[in-house]
Amino acid sequence: MHELISKCQKSLITVDKYYDAALQHVRGELIVNGKLSRDNLDREQHAAHGLSWVAAYRATLKEMVNWASNLDSTGTFNETEQLILQITFSEYCAQIKSGIPMSQLEYVRPQDLGLKNGLFQETGTEEFNDLILNGNSTADRMKLAQLLKDGFSSKNFGNCGLDETTSIIQEQFRKFVEDDVTPNAHEWHLKDNLIPMSVIEKMSELGVFGLTIPEEYGGLGMTRFVDCVVTEELARGYIGIGSLGTRGDIAAELLITGGTEEQKNKYLPKIASGEMLPCAVLTEPHSGSDMGSFKTRAVANGEHYTITGNKTWVTHGARSDVMMLLARTNPDEKGYKGLSMFLAEKQRGDDDNMFPDEGISGGEIEVLGYRGMKEYEMAFDGFQVKKENLLGEKEGNGFKQMMETFEAARIQTAARALGVAQSAFETAMQYAIDRLDTNGGSLYDKPRNASKIVSMATEIMAARQLTYYAAREKDKGHRCDLEAGMAKMLAARVAWACADNGVQIHGGNGFALEYPISRILCDSRILNIFEGTAEIQADIVTRRLVSTNPA
Amino acid sequence: MKILVPVKRVIDPYVNIRVKSDQTGVETENVKMSMNPFCEIAVEEAIRLKEAGKAEEIIAVSIGNQSCQETIRTALAMGADRGIHVLTEEKVEPISIAKILAKICESESPGLVISGKQAIDGDNNQTGQMLAALTDMPQGTFASKVEIDGDKVKVTREIDGGLQTVNLNMPAIITTDLRLNEPRYASLPNIMKAKKKPIDQKSPEDYGVDVTPRVSILKVIEPPKRQAGIKVENVGDLVEKLKNEAGVI
Ligand SMILES: Cc1cc2nc3c(=O)[nH]c(=O)nc-3n(C[C@H](O)[C@H](O)[C@H](O)COP(=O)(O)OP(=O)(O)OC[C@H]3O[C@@H](n4cnc5c(N)ncnc54)[C@H](O)[C@@H]3O)c2cc1C
Repeated sequence: MHELISKCQKSLITVDKYYDAALQHVRGELIVNGKLSRDNLDREQHAAHGLSWVAAYRATLKEMVNWASNLDSTGTFNETEQLILQITFSEYCAQIKSGIPMSQLEYVRPQDLGLKNGLFQETGTEEFNDLILNGNSTADRMKLAQLLKDGFSSKNFGNCGLDETTSIIQEQFRKFVEDDVTPNAHEWHLKDNLIPMSVIEKMSELGVFGLTIPEEYGGLGMTRFVDCVVTEELARGYIGIGSLGTRGDIAAELLITGGTEEQKNKYLPKIASGEMLPCAVLTEPHSGSDMGSFKTRAVANGEHYTITGNKTWVTHGARSDVMMLLARTNPDEKGYKGLSMFLAEKQRGDDDNMFPDEGISGGEIEVLGYRGMKEYEMAFDGFQVKKENLLGEKEGNGFKQMMETFEAARIQTAARALGVAQSAFETAMQYAIDRLDTNGGSLYDKPRNASKIVSMATEIMAARQLTYYAAREKDKGHRCDLEAGMAKMLAARVAWACADNGVQIHGGNGFALEYPISRILCDSRILNIFEGTAEIQADIVTRRLVSTNPA
Repeated sequence: MKILVPVKRVIDPYVNIRVKSDQTGVETENVKMSMNPFCEIAVEEAIRLKEAGKAEEIIAVSIGNQSCQETIRTALAMGADRGIHVLTEEKVEPISIAKILAKICESESPGLVISGKQAIDGDNNQTGQMLAALTDMPQGTFASKVEIDGDKVKVTREIDGGLQTVNLNMPAIITTDLRLNEPRYASLPNIMKAKKKPIDQKSPEDYGVDVTPRVSILKVIEPPKRQAGIKVENVGDLVEKLKNEAGVI
């Protein structure tokens, strides 16, 4: 094995010890009489959520070692990949030791997790300390910067570790995106246009919407892992393009895990072919995070349910054909248990007539980024849904059914974040290389610029390997809410950091609407908010960590 | 009718080519590889002929190391039916490629061989022509339009002065130019189907062809870097410099 890999592997022992100690501390704070105390969790959020970040870093570093070992075994662990591994280890170990940014303003420090100063003297392996001290030198960073620049024209920024089929898939989608998406994305954004149907139809032909749907229901039955690779490429062109499939994905997961056989046969083939575009109607004006508090009512009357209430933030709400609608069927149950999920058909609307159906009205919410499908508020007043459209034809399971989709949706969202991060990285790099100074040098020659690029490349690869890991766990049929949550959390932070620094590299031009990096900044900002905010994600991860069998 | 399409794996057209420090060739280690763009056009043309009912089977052939399998797989994902991979670690020259293809033509009897006019790595522009000589088939090189009519094929060729149209008896050899078509992307269903399509593994020996290179490369060097220009003050200066420094007048 390569010397660097074994060094990283040994330093993981220290990371494990650190994590175990932090876990014990947080457990001590949160577990009362053998049960997780919600009050304590709310009070100790900083430490508790911090634990989820330590866990995410630990999982990421483990996956980086696996990635490197696989490359090594095929003789493709080259200099670029070596430097990516080394710099990621050095940086993440240093952050674990001194403070991990959960956001730009909130760091989780060892002392927050009850860890004594001496911890690293007692348990720190030589390798851990050596990597922190020597793994991230200016010389190494500039070496990687040069290698990234050499690889720029062919978009070769380190081997992601894909097999033959997946590489072909990646290459084909990259071509589609470079021809049909990248040249148009900025205009769609600036004009606040819906993504043209012709592009959506092309994506249908390419098989995007049926990717993970089983073959017996008209899909391609491919893995979540392949979906990650495709989604990253699509989102690299435009977040809206990488997000078109998200809704179909969630609807398909709902049907597969909770639908009746008739419902599966009726809807899955149409979703897989792209003929039917779904939208998710969940969030309400008073809350998105706290689903248990949703108020929209579904009242049974004969063969129908009558829907009344207000929903908001419905992406692609107008130009869609079927709603995943979460509404309260039992008003006596105030929490989750009173909610039911409907797959409610609606008529497709457009900019002039958004909601043609009787009983639905609404309007567009103007947004910073994440355009292309548009977001809407929707008011339901007596809208009728057939009884057969109650998912699973049983009331009260809506929240549980929704939860079952979180793993897949969060992995897909992590992949979207990777795509956005990658586009920020490449856009910034192009600008830095192209912008020449009077001495014939370029912005890229300045170490502060090149160094930002290096951090982007290493962090994107790290988040990518964690995302791939979550996807592979999903494909094995393992429970992976933990992995999916960590991947989404990390990838979203990385996307925002890349976009923000991408603007910085552009200087004033980065602030001009004319430059695509300004759009990427806006697009990247959403990733920490939807599909479970960063904070909610950390909360979920921590709850899992402290509740599962004590090590 | 069968169509035989040779496909070559080359350094991706967007890669910045770097010369190896020992000057023995260009750097291919850790460099992105793709199907030669002219070969992609050839595959696309074959698929269009098949879709138009003019051909029944498309066979993609690649000659080279193990990784050529991926290039064949890409052709299969675009729509070719089966592959032949002639495995060799040698750097195979056009004459040897043409000889192997000639042997394959003997056993497969294709109605058309459609290849790229050249590969973007060596820019040799020889294989199609050599194959025509070896097999005695007529050739239509630099094709920008291909029309099949019965047992004849009309090929519009891009030549220096404009366009030339030739009528060839089939079997014939066509080499593609850039404007012939725009290759499609392989869709996910087709990429999955391609996994099940057969690729025959062969060696140059199976065809009795000795692929030992005949040309030895002495040295590969980078072209000289362009120097920055200067601004001259006036016409007199310009004439002076053209005369005495550039030596062109
Ligand atoms: C562009 C866009 C598209 C969207 N698309 C859809 C869609 O298609 N369908 C849909 O149903 N929804 C959609 N949403 C809604 C989105 O899912 C919600 O905005 C999100 O769930 C957060 O809910 P909220 O906005 O009510 O924020 P709140 O829940 O009010 O949260 C506000 C802040 O408080 C924090 N917070 C909340 N609860 C806690 C807690 N317990 N502990 C710690 N911190 C907490 C949050 O992390 C956040 O930072 C979209 C939103 C946007 C902006």
